Amino acid sequence: MTNSTEDLIASLSERMEPIKRPANPFALFLKWLAGSLAYMGMLLLFFGLRQNLLIKFHSPLFLAELGFLASIMITSALSAAILSFPDIYQKRWLVFTPVLPLLLFIATLFIAWQNDNPPAPLPPHGIECLACITMFSLLPAAFMLFILRKQASTHYAIAGSIALISAASVGCLTLRLSENTDSIPHLVEWHYLPMIGFGILGLWVGRKLLKW
Amino acid sequence: MKNKDDHLRQLMQQALGGDKRAYATALSETMRLLRPYLSKRLSNKTEIEDVLQEILISIHKARHTYDGLRPYAPWAFAIAKYRLHDHLRAHYADHLRFAAELTEAENISASDVTEIPFSYESIKEEVRQLPEKQAKILHLMHSEGYTAKEVAAQIGMNESAVKVAAHRAYKVLKKKLHDQ
Repeated sequence: MTNSTEDLIASLSERMEPIKRPANPFALFLKWLAGSLAYMGMLLLFFGLRQNLLIKFHSPLFLAELGFLASIMITSALSAAILSFPDIYQKRWLVFTPVLPLLLFIATLFIAWQNDNPPAPLPPHGIECLACITMFSLLPAAFMLFILRKQASTHYAIAGSIALISAASVGCLTLRLSENTDSIPHLVEWHYLPMIGFGILGLWVGRKLLKW
Repeated sequence: MKNKDDHLRQLMQQALGGDKRAYATALSETMRLLRPYLSKRLSNKTEIEDVLQEILISIHKARHTYDGLRPYAPWAFAIAKYRLHDHLRAHYADHLRFAAELTEAENISASDVTEIPFSYESIKEEVRQLPEKQAKILHLMHSEGYTAKEVAAQIGMNESAVKVAAHRAYKVLKKKLHDQ
């Protein structure tokens, strides 16, 4: 440590170089979103869309589920980008934007479960879906953490958690568009509940990668 | 307060454009802004200065996250709060570690740490071979004549920690001298 604070200031100002483009959370968010959408498109091209997708688009509950899942993905990415700034970009309210889509998403699943009569058949697989979601989420998660690491988060654990939830929702959304499964218990158990696990894992990842 | 923030914001805008003098002024003003905040939360002057320097380094590292378009003070205080909490966390973790060793410290009487059965001068060489902190503590206590409390204040440790360190140094010295 420098002996006097004045010496330190002199040395820091001597090292000051112009900052051409200061970081902006909305630009970071858009960069991540564009990357993730392109990646989702590539995954869907490779794995294919579900065969009955056009028919499913006539179901308001299916559309609401997809819409709210996409909203979770978008708002949590924005929230993570905001959290990567020391002062939360002085827009604290934006951090809480994923709450509403999350509540609406849970409500939609509940209504879909109530209306699942007769219940859609349970698919023979289970953990394979979780493995797929994890694999699909890896790249968006890595990209998001790479972006966030360059900033200076003072809420690194929460930022990590929300970033992984956003990445997991990319995986969930991709699989929902690609897999022919409509069993609500299966979706909750193997698609959506693991998102909580991703969030918890994100707390740890944030502590490890985003602390500065 | 608003005028002051506007002034700091302008300085930072110039600094982000590469103006080194504006940056130096902005950092000096930031130092003046943060010192009262730290003084309220930390008692030791050396500690305040150390944390202040850590905050200034952090502000420098995070300068790309400030665009000069939003108020400066909340940004600087967010970093200050973060670094202060970091410092306090480390401080209390240290404290806990030493608390576990307090039983050991409690067994050390005042004479144990201020009087040794041989002259300091005669074992100066052995003291030099001790870890830096232990050697400094012994030097201050036995060559300069400071009490454990005064040494603690000087080097920014607590008194029990100084006593524990001194006690450990004696143990090592005793063993060394015994072997000789």
